[in-house]
Amino acid sequence: MNVVFAVKQYVSKMIEDSGPGMKVLLMDKETTSIVSMVYTQSEILQKEVYLFERIDSLNRETMKHLKAICFLRPTKENVEYLIQELRRPKYSIYYIYFSNVISKSDVKSLAEADEQEVVAEIQEFYGDYIAVNPHVFSLNLLGCCQGRSWDLAQLSRTAQGLTALLLSLKKCPMIRYQLSSDPAKRLAECVKQVITKEYELFDFRRTEVPPLLLILDRSDDAITPLLNQWTYQAMVHELLGINNNRIDLSRVPGISKDLREVVLSAENDEFYANNMYLNFAEIGSNIKNLMEDFQRRKPKEQQKLESIADMKAFVENYPQFKKMSGTVSKHVTVVGELSRLASERNLLEVSEVEQELACQNDHSSAHQNVRRLLQNPKVTEFDAARLVMLYALHYERHSSNSLPGLMMDLKNKGVSEKYRKLVSAVVEYGGKRVRGSDLFSPKDAVAITKQFLKGLKGVENVYTQHQPFLHETLDQLIKGKLKDGQYPYLGPSTLRDRPQDIIVFIIGGATYEEALTVYNLNRSTPGVRIVLGGTTIHNTKSFLEEISASGFRGRGAESSQVTARASSRR
Amino acid sequence: MASNYPPPFDDPVEVREGFLCPLCLKDLQSFYQLQSHYEEEHSSEDRDVKGQLRNLVQKAKKAKKKLLKREGDDRTDTGAQERYESFSYGGVDPYMWEPQELGAMRSHLSDFKKHRAARIDHYVVEVNKLIIRLEKLTSFDRTNTESAKIRAIEKSVVPWVNDQDVPFCPDCGNKFSIRNRRHHCRLCGSIMCKKCMELVSLPLASKLTSASKEALASHTSPNSSPNSIHGSRRGSISSVSSVSSVLDEKDDDRIRCCRHCKDTLLKREQQIDEKEYTPDIVKLYEKLRLCMEKVDQKAPEYIKMAESLNAGETTYNLEHANDLRVEVQKVYELIDALSKKILTLGLNEEPQPHPKTLQLQRMIRYSATLFVQEKLLGLMSLPTKDKYEELKEKRKQEMDRKLHMERQATLETQRRLEEKQKDLVSRSTAAPNGEVPYPKRGTVKKSEGWLPTSSLPRQREIADPLLQQIDNITSFIKQAKAANRLDEVRMLQENLRQLQDEYDQQQTLKAIELSKRQAEEEEMQREQLQVLREKEWEREQHKAMSQHSRTRSLDFREVKQHQHESGKENLNQIAQSLDLDTTQMKSSPSSKTPSPDAVQKQVPKENSVFPIKPREGPQYIRETDQNQTLLLNPFEDEADTSQVEDPANTLARDSSQVVSLPTKALHSDKKEYNPFEDDEEDQQTNGATVYAPNPFEDNGNSFQKSVNDQNSGNPFEGLSSTNPFEVDDNEISGEDIIEEELLLQQIDNIKAYIFDAKHSGRMDEVEVLTENLKELKRTLAKQKEKSKC
Repeated sequence: MNVVFAVKQYVSKMIEDSGPGMKVLLMDKETTSIVSMVYTQSEILQKEVYLFERIDSLNRETMKHLKAICFLRPTKENVEYLIQELRRPKYSIYYIYFSNVISKSDVKSLAEADEQEVVAEIQEFYGDYIAVNPHVFSLNLLGCCQGRSWDLAQLSRTAQGLTALLLSLKKCPMIRYQLSSDPAKRLAECVKQVITKEYELFDFRRTEVPPLLLILDRSDDAITPLLNQWTYQAMVHELLGINNNRIDLSRVPGISKDLREVVLSAENDEFYANNMYLNFAEIGSNIKNLMEDFQRRKPKEQQKLESIADMKAFVENYPQFKKMSGTVSKHVTVVGELSRLASERNLLEVSEVEQELACQNDHSSAHQNVRRLLQNPKVTEFDAARLVMLYALHYERHSSNSLPGLMMDLKNKGVSEKYRKLVSAVVEYGGKRVRGSDLFSPKDAVAITKQFLKGLKGVENVYTQHQPFLHETLDQLIKGKLKDGQYPYLGPSTLRDRPQDIIVFIIGGATYEEALTVYNLNRSTPGVRIVLGGTTIHNTKSFLEEISASGFRGRGAESSQVTARASSRR
Repeated sequence: MASNYPPPFDDPVEVREGFLCPLCLKDLQSFYQLQSHYEEEHSSEDRDVKGQLRNLVQKAKKAKKKLLKREGDDRTDTGAQERYESFSYGGVDPYMWEPQELGAMRSHLSDFKKHRAARIDHYVVEVNKLIIRLEKLTSFDRTNTESAKIRAIEKSVVPWVNDQDVPFCPDCGNKFSIRNRRHHCRLCGSIMCKKCMELVSLPLASKLTSASKEALASHTSPNSSPNSIHGSRRGSISSVSSVSSVLDEKDDDRIRCCRHCKDTLLKREQQIDEKEYTPDIVKLYEKLRLCMEKVDQKAPEYIKMAESLNAGETTYNLEHANDLRVEVQKVYELIDALSKKILTLGLNEEPQPHPKTLQLQRMIRYSATLFVQEKLLGLMSLPTKDKYEELKEKRKQEMDRKLHMERQATLETQRRLEEKQKDLVSRSTAAPNGEVPYPKRGTVKKSEGWLPTSSLPRQREIADPLLQQIDNITSFIKQAKAANRLDEVRMLQENLRQLQDEYDQQQTLKAIELSKRQAEEEEMQREQLQVLREKEWEREQHKAMSQHSRTRSLDFREVKQHQHESGKENLNQIAQSLDLDTTQMKSSPSSKTPSPDAVQKQVPKENSVFPIKPREGPQYIRETDQNQTLLLNPFEDEADTSQVEDPANTLARDSSQVVSLPTKALHSDKKEYNPFEDDEEDQQTNGATVYAPNPFEDNGNSFQKSVNDQNSGNPFEGLSSTNPFEVDDNEISGEDIIEEELLLQQIDNIKAYIFDAKHSGRMDEVEVLTENLKELKRTLAKQKEKSKC
């Protein structure tokens, strides 16, 4: 069920199959990101892959002493490029791998182009998704829906991604979907269709309890992507943005040249792997330890390089030393920037109110706090807008709803038209009318007592009290209590036992907060493995972009051409 | 150092029997003691062990991520850690998920090949047709032939398309007129305008046609590059006629053809070129990879050696390790040099290579640097000679200390047992029958020989076939090591490990059984069921006896003590003997097996080489060593003496003694180590009660073999002589007797090579080849003469 491992295995297999010799990896834009998520350059260099080329690049030289490994999505353009390539081969021999099902006619036209008999292998390897963490994958699709229905190209890409995931994990699942969402049903049907059509491929060894694919819609929980985050991975994504494990730090004041862009990958960065799910305070102390550790080593080696033995010791420790110094400066920079942003934007205070809006039901206090923060000049328009969005979502139907007043406050604060319109767009996207389940008030007695007790004891950490709605959904699913009425099975058969292997997919994007939730569920529930996927992984900014791109313009749109280019991140 | 070196029997030797703590190797007397010891001492160190694990495995795999994580978390030990811990009551961290099998995949290769084959056949026919026509067109003397005649020939090669049928140029679409005249392709007969017309020069034509011929000629040569397949396929269809006349002419006469035909011909030309050409980068790269492989082979071995040496162990020879280090370092230097050369390839040439080529070179260099950094800098240094001595001393002291502690512990337990026994006796004396079993036991014990007689340990050794096997393998390893057959050593070590595991397991099982029995006994004693006990006692004892004879684990001492309540003197003696046992067994750290003392003791006795009793023997060796230190490498001595102390390897020892001890007797023994072997065998058959299929014979054989190997030469030397880097590409293996046919073939081949070399302008090669050719011809002539005779 480890998705990173699944993709990595595919790539390793490709490289191994091509045998010894110098190799070039020929990819398209998407497969480049797919491979870069699971392999580092130095790792892949060790396997004699020395060049990475894009199939659409015109600047490639003929190098007949190289073997080419082509890893491509089976799109029309790629097939066309490949045909051109085979007519005039630039490399000695070609190993072709498509990341998904390719049509027979495409195979034929490729075969006919291969007049010089340079193709040694042509296979389907289903690594057609971005493996983010062992239990998290994404498709990097933004704006997958138009209104409440699928963009057709995106639907087929999503179905391809999901089926590729199933194939790479060798799972032929039963499918459940969220009834209130039409896109969820459409996607479920598409996946089912592929499974039926390619039944030979999906003919895996049967497990006692069949795996389960649960398809959800982001609009059911618009709260989670609007919250500020305080665990490392989620916070970095929220404040700096993670794009294929890469973080752009070029806008950090006084950044050094080699830290403009850093890579945070749990596969290669021990510190990150250990700390990605810890909260900010803990990371602070861990970073301190890391630095102390580093300093303890560094001066010692620099001071005592007098004798030859010392020199030798230094040289022998050098790789670790160098690696460590890289890790230290990277994380110090990232954490430093996070804390700078947090204090500059007054995020602790903002987040406290956000959490109150998300988790508690005290309208007047919430209203007061929002208003107070709107007066605070340190609060950016972005954060102000999201506070009002949260308020609007939670107290949409509250008797003393005073959204218009808050909207006036926003206007007085000088928040741009774009954000003010997004408030109503968010409500339109994820308001009560749309939601299939109740996001705010607890339903059963157990949950009520829990909340009551929580209130009595006080919350252990005000900034991380929010649990994504997904937690409850999965919890019920694991316990076999998820209602068939709300989340029906596709097809006649239903699961009698409790599910063991679960794949959750969120149309409209998942978040790292949910990734953390799933991580904790995995760790806490024996015998259950859950993989979380989404059309993308959102932070607030990308979520708002998604809403705009999906055509929710909000009321009172003066110009219909609003594009959410949330430029004021800081 | 040597003067106060204790006799080897007191030497610290690894104990493999009994209840060893897996972490500190402390010997504990019983299963329960070990358990409690582990719980007390090592529960806190658990993480350190994990840390060690981490060091061992550089690139932690998924499963180990968890360990790392633990460790990282432990360091901080914050509240969150607890929070997460509280979560995990049974679930699995996704990083720890079992690695699944490779995902689904589907091959389209057979489909692809089917479609391609259909296409290729067509294509091949096309190409061959063109080449045949080209050959016809160039096969006559164009310059001296009238143009009308040329035209007639050209027309005969391929039927020309009728002018009237083509009003427009099929390529550019322009209308033909008086000014825009029609031209015919001489290869396919089609029509195009002047603009769209291409020309094939005669050199190109000859290259193409002759290449086809050559492909046919070299059809038999074992060239298996994918291109050669095409070449031969195409070539086989083309006609063969002489074109040599064309070669000499410098004629600007050309053959008109259409774009499509020219395209096809150019592709063909490209293929021919590529087939012949191996760029420098490939040659260098292949060398580089060979070096890397060598390092991958040698480095782990060296690291193992260095680790062992740095720990003060005497398993490996320091000099040997030093040699290996130098060797590995040389390979690293070579890698560095080669990758540098690759990096700078073509940089001084004009025009500069393509940026992608440069990128490739940079990447290769980068990866080589990474390789060297990772592997070379991970190579630990070796201790200097002096330091190594220190280390050894230190280790010895440590072992001594441990030993001492163990001895104390033993005494302690003995005392305790004694008290218990006394207690028991006082109680049992009350009963009239109670005394009977004890003396009986005592006798049993005596006959078993826990007393320090020399005959006994030998029985011990023989008793367990597993132990025997282990001994044998240890000696094999030594021999193999001496013979430098490192792969064998590795295999044998693996074998040994398995055996030892098996043995340990067996021991544990037995021990568990034993301690159970012990517990039973005690219980019964407490119950004071005299009559019953007596009966039980005897049966028990009987069982225990058989146990004793089978298992020789040290924990038996405890049981033994039970049996020994009567005689205190006896007891003391036993204690002594036990200590002796342990020390004896301690004295061979390299063998990792309990020492079959008997073999060691008896061999020297029967062998005239050692006129001294075994205990003094090593001292004697010591002394000679002392005298020798100036002459001989002390490290070698160390290793040798350790071998001497290692009784499991008597044969190997003999040989090494032969080398290291310049005693006359030993020298004489050198020539007759076979009788020595016989001695051994005799001894076995005489003294041993139980003996498995004679392993010493095997020893002897393999030893002989290893000697042979040594004689035949160092395998490394062999390696260096066939240095793959210096192999000349054009080198032709000179055989003593070459059959005529082969010779002829070779000559043909070389002719072809020469032609090829001329063609690509490699004049130096041409020279070499011509030289070769001459030589071959000479040989051929000789051969013919011979055959005439």
